[in-house]
Amino acid sequence: MGLLHPKATFPLSLVFLFLFFLMASAEEEFLEELLLKPLPDRKVLAHFHFQNEAPLAAHSFARHHHLFPKSISQLVKKFHIKTMELSFTQGRWNYERWGGFDPISSHNAKPPGVELWAVFDVPQHQVDASWKNLTHSLSGLFCASINFLESSTSYSAPEWAFQSALGSLRYGTLPREAVCTENLTPWLKLLPCRDKAGLSSLMDRPSIYRSFYHSQRLHLAMPTAASNGSKSGIILEQALTVVLQPDNQKAGIDHVSTKIQPSWSLSSIFGRKISGRCVVAKLSNIYLHVERGPVTQLENLQKKTSKIAANDTGPEDYRRNSVFELSVTPERVHTELEKSSSSLYEYSIKDYKDIEQFDLGLTWKHPVVWSSPHAPLFASRFLMGSGNERGAIAISLKSTEVTEGLAAANNVEERCKLQVNVLQIVPWYVKVYYHTLQLLVDERPQVLTDFVERMRVSPSEDKVSPGVMELVLQFPCEMKSAVLSIEFDKGFLHIDEYPPDANQGFDIPSAIISFPDYHAGLQFLDKSQSKSPLLSKLQERSPVLSYTEVLLVPLTTPDFSMPYNVITITCTVFALYFGSLLNVLRRRVGEEERLLKNKEAKKGVFFRRLLTNVSAKLRGRPSESPLPPPSSSSLFVNSKLIFRVLIVAGIAVAWQYYSQ
Amino acid sequence: MKRKKVQWFWTWVLGSVAMRLILLYFPKNLNLSLRPEVSTPVTSLRRLAEGYWLKQSSLSPYAGSMYHGSPLLLTLLGPLTVTRVEGQPDHLLCSLIFVVADVACAMLICGAGEKLQVAYSSSLQFLGLHNLSEDSELLPSGDIAALVYLWNPFTVVACVGLSTSAIENLMVVLSLYGACSRLAPLAAFGWVMATHMSLYPAILIVPVILLLGYGPDAPPRKLFWRRKNLEVGNSTCSDSYSAEEEKNQLKMANVFSLRPVVLFLFWTLLWSSYVLFLCSIYVQQYGGLRELFRRTYGFILTVQDLSPNIGVLWYFFAEVFDFFRNFFLLVFHGNILLMIAPLALRLNHRPCFLAFVYIAISSMLKSYPSVGDSALYLGLLGLFAYELKDMNFSFFLFSGYVGVSLLSPVMHNLWIWRGTGNANFYFATAITYTCFQIILVVESVSAMLNHDRMLTKLYTAKLQNVKS
Amino acid sequence: MGLSVSELLMKVVLMIMLTFLSYSVAYSSSSYKTTMHTNNWAVLVCTSRFWFNYRHMANTLSLYRTVKRLGIPDERIILMLADDMACNARNKYPAQVFNNENHRLNLYGDNVEVDYRGYEVTVENFLRVLTGRHESAVPRSKRLLSDEGSHILLYMTGHGGDEFLKFQDSEELQSHDLADAVKQMEEKRRFKELLIMVDTCQASTLFSQFHSPGVLAIGSSMKGENSYSHHLDSDVGVSVVDRFTFYTLAFFERLNMYDNASLSSLFNSYNPNLLMSTAYYRMDLYQCHLEEVPVTNFFASVMKTIHTDSAYRSWSNKNIAEAKTKNMSSDQSISDSDRNFLRKLDEVDQFNNLTAEDYVRDSVGQIWRAILSTVNTFDSIDTFVCYGMLLMLPMLIFSTWLSSK
Repeated sequence: MGLLHPKATFPLSLVFLFLFFLMASAEEEFLEELLLKPLPDRKVLAHFHFQNEAPLAAHSFARHHHLFPKSISQLVKKFHIKTMELSFTQGRWNYERWGGFDPISSHNAKPPGVELWAVFDVPQHQVDASWKNLTHSLSGLFCASINFLESSTSYSAPEWAFQSALGSLRYGTLPREAVCTENLTPWLKLLPCRDKAGLSSLMDRPSIYRSFYHSQRLHLAMPTAASNGSKSGIILEQALTVVLQPDNQKAGIDHVSTKIQPSWSLSSIFGRKISGRCVVAKLSNIYLHVERGPVTQLENLQKKTSKIAANDTGPEDYRRNSVFELSVTPERVHTELEKSSSSLYEYSIKDYKDIEQFDLGLTWKHPVVWSSPHAPLFASRFLMGSGNERGAIAISLKSTEVTEGLAAANNVEERCKLQVNVLQIVPWYVKVYYHTLQLLVDERPQVLTDFVERMRVSPSEDKVSPGVMELVLQFPCEMKSAVLSIEFDKGFLHIDEYPPDANQGFDIPSAIISFPDYHAGLQFLDKSQSKSPLLSKLQERSPVLSYTEVLLVPLTTPDFSMPYNVITITCTVFALYFGSLLNVLRRRVGEEERLLKNKEAKKGVFFRRLLTNVSAKLRGRPSESPLPPPSSSSLFVNSKLIFRVLIVAGIAVAWQYYSQ
Repeated sequence: MKRKKVQWFWTWVLGSVAMRLILLYFPKNLNLSLRPEVSTPVTSLRRLAEGYWLKQSSLSPYAGSMYHGSPLLLTLLGPLTVTRVEGQPDHLLCSLIFVVADVACAMLICGAGEKLQVAYSSSLQFLGLHNLSEDSELLPSGDIAALVYLWNPFTVVACVGLSTSAIENLMVVLSLYGACSRLAPLAAFGWVMATHMSLYPAILIVPVILLLGYGPDAPPRKLFWRRKNLEVGNSTCSDSYSAEEEKNQLKMANVFSLRPVVLFLFWTLLWSSYVLFLCSIYVQQYGGLRELFRRTYGFILTVQDLSPNIGVLWYFFAEVFDFFRNFFLLVFHGNILLMIAPLALRLNHRPCFLAFVYIAISSMLKSYPSVGDSALYLGLLGLFAYELKDMNFSFFLFSGYVGVSLLSPVMHNLWIWRGTGNANFYFATAITYTCFQIILVVESVSAMLNHDRMLTKLYTAKLQNVKS
Repeated sequence: MGLSVSELLMKVVLMIMLTFLSYSVAYSSSSYKTTMHTNNWAVLVCTSRFWFNYRHMANTLSLYRTVKRLGIPDERIILMLADDMACNARNKYPAQVFNNENHRLNLYGDNVEVDYRGYEVTVENFLRVLTGRHESAVPRSKRLLSDEGSHILLYMTGHGGDEFLKFQDSEELQSHDLADAVKQMEEKRRFKELLIMVDTCQASTLFSQFHSPGVLAIGSSMKGENSYSHHLDSDVGVSVVDRFTFYTLAFFERLNMYDNASLSSLFNSYNPNLLMSTAYYRMDLYQCHLEEVPVTNFFASVMKTIHTDSAYRSWSNKNIAEAKTKNMSSDQSISDSDRNFLRKLDEVDQFNNLTAEDYVRDSVGQIWRAILSTVNTFDSIDTFVCYGMLLMLPMLIFSTWLSSK
């Protein structure tokens, strides 16, 4: 723990840098890559991808690392992490415009705030303890309040809707967490070159945080060797995904009116240029990804102009064509297997002189309109109802062009099914009635069991655990829309449990909708050459995943200003009850009193008389009994005094005895 | 001796049933089942349905802090919450059960009232206060109480609002009826079930034992003693009663008969072990009885749910500092327990009235009070219409109840729905309501004691007349 | 009594010191605390939430930047910011915070490290940082790991009043709490000298309860006075800095880490007319002459090599001190482990009990087993319980009939 200090890593990494030069060890690898992609709605996506690999020899944990950040390897060692992912996100990924069916969106579109999940390699009963310690360590490492995930009300253990890890997975989100420079600083310190050289030098803080969406992600994995099933090493992936608006003010309003996409360059969107690669990086590449839409249009245009047929096209032709123009000639172009699909332009960063710097620019020449590929169903979530007593959560799934195409294709064959996994986590103060779960398919209420394949519910327990609902739904492909709705009551919290800005409301974390039958992945022709982790990530067949919106639930607040009033008034009422009832019970009217006294006088017990005297005095009435002779009165007073003193002493002794 | 009935008694009863049925057919039951005044976390049928659903999906019905009621209620009502009758309201079958429970409850109150009245007038006759006994016979208090119970808006709202308190009330009344008519098994059954369902009726064991031991309410025992003394002194007293009957009467009024009490205890043991047996079978897979008690009684005693209701504890525990919480839990529950002994000492000759006071106190100070609880003690209040006819502040109390029951929903609406009010306003109505209940309890106790004083006075006057 | 005597003694010592030459001052102070000044720490706290309190965060960040510029490293600065202003949606300049209208200096910079932020800034956490009583899992970067040779700068800003400072608009830190925490720190030898600087309304009232020696306090205003903001930035839309902090920064802008400006020159630089309030200093608990104490004692980290003949002795001293502080910080974990051990014992006990219970159940509760097994042969428990309840009805009727006979 002690060595995990984030602020200490930088000098260490510098030292290791030198060591690296001396030893030229080939064991640890660092690769840096940047993917740029114009988006249909006149924005640009920049996706930084850094990969750090360290082999895992038998005693490697005791050893120093050359490139790999020590704090991370200590983390892995201490908490026995198998896989971990931490993301800091601000803004919301626009699935409709920026696509939901490509590897970037299913890996890097994250819910707002902090999302953390980890799989541990420890016995079941230690998982929670490991998770708690991990959250504290990460909060120190990344300057964030991740330690709020420590409380059992904020994390859960989904079993299969998210990832199957046999109970050792923990998942938690903090939707309200602010993401800013202080989170990026320690993240950058994990890189061997920090932001001083290489691609990361592009990260100008103001331009990153001005973006529409930015998500900084850290993924730790321990891949197992295929041969013996043991762990082969640690892979640390760091990715920063930014959606930026190119600054087209200097380009004028003409472009807007002519519907031509704004032109941009690295310096215009980041305000910086690349002056060179990070010297320790094994690979330092920039890719420009042009989606299917523009490529198709380009081909159409080329067919029209019949300029060049299917001849071999040189790099220069890629650089300058009728749709757009690139400022730098790409070194290599990857195209997808299918015809007329997206293509990838590759540049590698060399060391540049002081004056000459790398600045990739893209100028559009022809208006192009296209849309990014969508996920099979477009998921959104909203709240229903009004007032602060109860409400309902609804998840709506709408079909997109993907499913429509499927329905058309599979009409003849056997009924095509679309599987959807839903993971919904609700905090305990949103008290969900699971028996009210309803499903509307094509706006008609349906019996739930017809569509639900599997269902797992672990209801929330007050102040202990959140409610988790995992569903596997099977829809027919021709379905147009489906709405899942579930009712809830809003809980009432103790005054101390409200945050300082309680009136702002409480968040329900994003639901996760995944489509296990669909795999996002681009198939590029030249698979063999690419050693690039980014390319292999793009080609990996991963299930399509999308997050819904975070919901804001306003909860009723008690009055914070005067707890003392409430306490005193309530206690007064109780005193009123107790006092007045007791008074009624022990009140005696004159006749009864006389009777009582007669009886006592007859009995003549001194003790009784004493009692009546005391009670009469308490009532503030003069004692009506015949006064005892004055000589005995002093005795009486004395005995009373002694009695009182004895009582007090007895209480004191008892108190002493029991307080020890 | 033919007792007088209230005119059109059965018509009124049928009318109340018809009204309930009409209200049931209103769309969405007027949303009464979601009102905080009607359904508390312990009595809400919606939570019961959730518990049943969890149970059906092989989870513990108590998982997830939703259901906190009895497992037996779950087996009884659970299946009914999911059965829908075509074209009828959703919870028709449950509602019908609640209507039946209400009517049965009213009938039992009526029966108990008759028994009380007969016993009371006979003991008055025995004391020779004939004109008083005729007065008391003029007032058919059992019928009045039954009708008050049936037509009380609180009862109607609780019944239509699908609150399980109707069944709890039935059990409480069953126990009282059984004790009045000296049916030990019945009394034991009612007491066990009521305690099992809502815990607070446990304190009713005192009045039930007194009822079984001494018989129904009677004038203070002192008077009988004095009469006995008188008889010993003046054996030539000529009365219309035969000597043997008088002896019996005297015995009944004064001697604590142990047999029914022992029977009662025996049957209590039997019933409670049977209920526990059923419960433990029901929850054997979900942590056993310990878990059951933690989820039901523990939930009631520790006031975990802080959602608003007509009591005062929810707001108090939402605002109080955490380290004082346990102390105040003890104090507030202690307030109920502390009053048991003084009341029992002072009112031991009137066990039925004692039961009424206990019920009123517990429904006022319980963790999750609802109007259903108030309905029960307001109904029972009718049983003592004759004794309490000189109660102070009765009009004030009546208008207070009406005012609070109108204002409280308004304040709730302003706070929760409109967002223009504040929690303090709603809490103020809750405080007012509690104050009115306190006044009712205090005044009714004092009126009853005054009535006893009046009897004593009359009797001593009569004795002096006889002597002179 | 003892306290007053010690105070009297201290006063006498002070008087003697005043009469003697100035160098004796240094000796007398060192006679009180023998340890050397070894390191510097800074705890900078902004206690205000919400966008309109931008200036409080700017105040804190200005101080952060200043002490960092003067050489205190990031790992010795505990920065607490109650809200996120830099990336706030209302901020026109994302990831930037300015304390001046001219926007010349971005306080947020590229390398800011915030240790406690947002909802974490509570009175509880603040007092935990000061007293060092953390949960064992709390990372080092969130702890104040100072020792008896530390000079600590504690800067706080926010909204306050008579003897309190508001945290997040929902809690208050009272002067008693602060004094208690400082007292604990003193007893745990967590500091040699402590400078508390508070920029809030009626700041001086916050110091009224201090009794620990070595504490020096500066407040922006006297009791009954308000502390005002300096100016409004119409681009950002809110006031960006408070007067007291503004003039403090103005003083420090002229300095570098090797300057010898004294604390008294800092204190004298406050002009009540410019501040619109009277800066208050409490120095009766501080032994040295303010003219003698350079500001760099608190606001900078000066690593000077000092040649001493008794190098080894001082080393050993330091080791001991370190060991002590370590002990203190590990107290928590030790007690934790103790508790774990106890818990384990408990578990063992429980296990024993359980086995005993099981034994009893085995021997006595055979019938229960039998019943359960027969119950399990039913289709479902539900139906069994249902039948059981139905059975209650005839039982009830029968028993009632029996007793009514």
